[in-house]
Amino acid sequence: MGNKKDFGLYACGIALFLIILPLGNVLGFVSGNTISLWGRYFCFAIVALGVDLIWGYTGILSMCQAFFFCLGGYSIAMHIVLKGATASGANGIPMPDFMAWNQVETLPFFWVPFQSFGLSLALGLLIPAAFALVFGYFIFRSRIRGVYMAIITQALALAMWLIFLRNETMLGGTNGLTDFKTLLGLSLSTPGVKLGLYVVSLLTLGIAFWFSRKLVDSKFGKVLQAIRDSESRTSYTAYRVMHYKLAIFIVAALLAAVAGMLYVPQTGIITPGRMDVRASVEMVMWVAIGGRGKLKGAILGSLIVNFLYSICTSLFPDSWLFILGFLFVTTVLYFDKGLLGMLETVVAKLGSKRKPSPQPAGHEVMQS
Amino acid sequence: MNCIQKVWLVILLSIGIGGGAFAQQADSISIQVAAVLSPPNDTARSQALRYLAAQKDPATFPLLAAINDKKLYMLDGKPVTTGEAENSGGKEVFTVFYLYPQNKEAADKLPADRLQKVEISRSERLILNVVLPYLNLTSHDPQKRIMAYGQLVSAQDTGKIAILAKALRQEADAGALTAGKEVLFQLKLDEAFSEPEAKAYIDSLDQNWGENVGLILKKYAEEGNVVSARAYAAEKVKSLESLQGRIEKAQNLFSGISLGSILILIALGLAIVYGLAGIINMAHGEFLMIGAYTTYCMQSLVIDTLGVNSDLYFWVSIPASFIVAGAFGLVLERLVIRHLYARPLESLLATWGVSLIMVQAARSIFGDLTAVKAPAFLAGGWQLMPHLVLPYNRLFIIGLTAVVVSLTYLMLYRSRLGIRIRAVTQNRTMSACLGVETRRVDAITFFLGSGLAGLAGCAMTLIGNVVPDMGQTYIVDSFLVVVTGGVGKIAGAIVSGLGIGFLTKVLESFYEAVYGKVLILALIVVFLQFKPRGLFPDKGRIAED
Repeated sequence: MGNKKDFGLYACGIALFLIILPLGNVLGFVSGNTISLWGRYFCFAIVALGVDLIWGYTGILSMCQAFFFCLGGYSIAMHIVLKGATASGANGIPMPDFMAWNQVETLPFFWVPFQSFGLSLALGLLIPAAFALVFGYFIFRSRIRGVYMAIITQALALAMWLIFLRNETMLGGTNGLTDFKTLLGLSLSTPGVKLGLYVVSLLTLGIAFWFSRKLVDSKFGKVLQAIRDSESRTSYTAYRVMHYKLAIFIVAALLAAVAGMLYVPQTGIITPGRMDVRASVEMVMWVAIGGRGKLKGAILGSLIVNFLYSICTSLFPDSWLFILGFLFVTTVLYFDKGLLGMLETVVAKLGSKRKPSPQPAGHEVMQS
Repeated sequence: MNCIQKVWLVILLSIGIGGGAFAQQADSISIQVAAVLSPPNDTARSQALRYLAAQKDPATFPLLAAINDKKLYMLDGKPVTTGEAENSGGKEVFTVFYLYPQNKEAADKLPADRLQKVEISRSERLILNVVLPYLNLTSHDPQKRIMAYGQLVSAQDTGKIAILAKALRQEADAGALTAGKEVLFQLKLDEAFSEPEAKAYIDSLDQNWGENVGLILKKYAEEGNVVSARAYAAEKVKSLESLQGRIEKAQNLFSGISLGSILILIALGLAIVYGLAGIINMAHGEFLMIGAYTTYCMQSLVIDTLGVNSDLYFWVSIPASFIVAGAFGLVLERLVIRHLYARPLESLLATWGVSLIMVQAARSIFGDLTAVKAPAFLAGGWQLMPHLVLPYNRLFIIGLTAVVVSLTYLMLYRSRLGIRIRAVTQNRTMSACLGVETRRVDAITFFLGSGLAGLAGCAMTLIGNVVPDMGQTYIVDSFLVVVTGGVGKIAGAIVSGLGIGFLTKVLESFYEAVYGKVLILALIVVFLQFKPRGLFPDKGRIAED
């Protein structure tokens, strides 16, 4: 994998997404919907980076990333809803309409901090991080790993989903939070703001990618990969495995939360449906399909699967689950290294035909 | 004839006359009934009806009800009415009830042309208005009788207590009798004006323990006629309520056990398969769904296609659901799982994809919601004590689980196949070296595990609807069971399945269902702090990774 080829790839991506698409939108031949759609895909790609860090590089299968995603999303949604609130509570503080419909008298205490944008941002990061810290501490402390970890996090996702579905948690219940009007005084429905959010998402994705790249190349990242390949050997060499796992769990949660924060203003709605067990598993599958253990693979997978989803649900609505299920199965069975791995193998084969090289590419040994 | 004999004669005679008076009244009612059925002149029927309405004899109520419903017929000179119409051999036949002198069902169902309608004019029917509240007291339908008893509470008639008492003497249905007695005692309690009398009726109400006793006594405690008995009523209310609370808890425990048994059925297969092959089968819940749909198909096949209208379909579907789900399991094993042995995380993702496909397939084939008719022999419940009924369907599920678990135990620990399965679970390579066909053992085990889930699905149709994603609601729970029980341990699956099912229901009775679930998860995480490898961890060298 030469740096030159990588550079070409980046240049293509930047040219396409940072210049051509926005320019097209400004000139009017790319619709605002397409822009928002891709903006959302970038958010998913950020989550996928987190999933790749924790699963692809550390070997911990966490099935509750969608929950962290929604924690970030809900915090920003709460802020937006509060800003657009018209009903007023008993103590004069504006209150979202759905609360007035549910005969709630005053704004619940945990909604109060979300009146300020800065606090909302901070809480949207702090809450998922704290959650990951506490939950992760108890899980990693008792050396729950592998399948057990997957099941426990799945149960967590299920339980939290059920809680968010309730009306008395004051988070909108099944309907979620919607009817967003303004963010920081900017109307969310104008094309300019949509384009702005798109650019911000893309830039955040870029930063997240650069950060993850640095992380996995650092010593810290090497330890993570050592944990993935043999946890016991790593701990025998006096590394505190638990601390590393906890740290990467929190990083992944933070990435998911950031993505959620960017995602919500672009979609205009957040419901508990975004955090059910299936959502988390799908996030893992983006990475698997793209190629885990490779940051580019994670981004590629999430973009492709979501793009496919948008196409398939409009063309043949009933068959999306068939397609997705089939993708899951074939990827796991036959393309263990995902799309990127497959591409590399193909390229390597072509290259070796032209001029036989002693060491074909795609030699990375992946183990879980 | 001496003196004593004379006295005897007098006594006998007087009894005869007294009996005669009764007989005379009954006779006069029969005469009037005859007059209603075939009046000698125009006014005779109205007169007779007026007489019968004034008498308010429960024996005549069925007849009067039939007149009121315009469903009075004659059959071989006897008054009858008709019940449900039924189709038999292309002909419409009716259930026929004799009305007087005895109120009973006729042995045969008859077509309408055998019956002769007795026309009774509207003005004549209006005469019956005074007895309207009583007419349903002798209905054939216990539900209607219960309603009729209830209506008496507000009826404005001083003679209603006597009539009610008379009607209750003929009551055969236990539920209706309780409801009727409750009304009777309530009416008498309202009329009681001395403390001992009121207390006696409060006691009777309490012992009778009908549906509304709490309300009645509560009302009496506030505004009863006898002020001194009010406190007594309040006290009874309190003890009744605490008793009801205890009964509710018992019900909850019972449904916890039955939920636990379903979890056991699902988790058993999961535990064995995971222990044996290191496969996390997320599609395991879908075998439950397949079992449920097999039951549904069997029902359609047996009842609609073959036309056998009995519980036969359920008996057929028990083995059928096992075999069909098992067969699907075999196919899945051959196509997908086989390539994923000992790669649990990959197997988790691949089988998740399979489960998506299966759910969507079921949705396209069967639609969103279907239900299986509960078999007749499982309707109702076992009445442990008044107000504590253990439904037969849940008892059946518990029984089925007990049988299946015992069979699985025998299979695993007392058969050659079981030895092989356990051997492969412990050390696959060594077993293969010793001539165990590990691939075949895998396939058979997968068949059994999927079949068990199918059985669970069959059982699930007894207590819920059949929906495409029914398996997904249980899959996370059953994995928690496996995790808590210790992987691949049949005893662990049983203990933790029962425990989790039980705890879920208990917590649900204290908190909302959702918070119960969250608490369960918290409990499991705490539990795993102390026992990270489950309830029954492997010991010794096989415990190593």
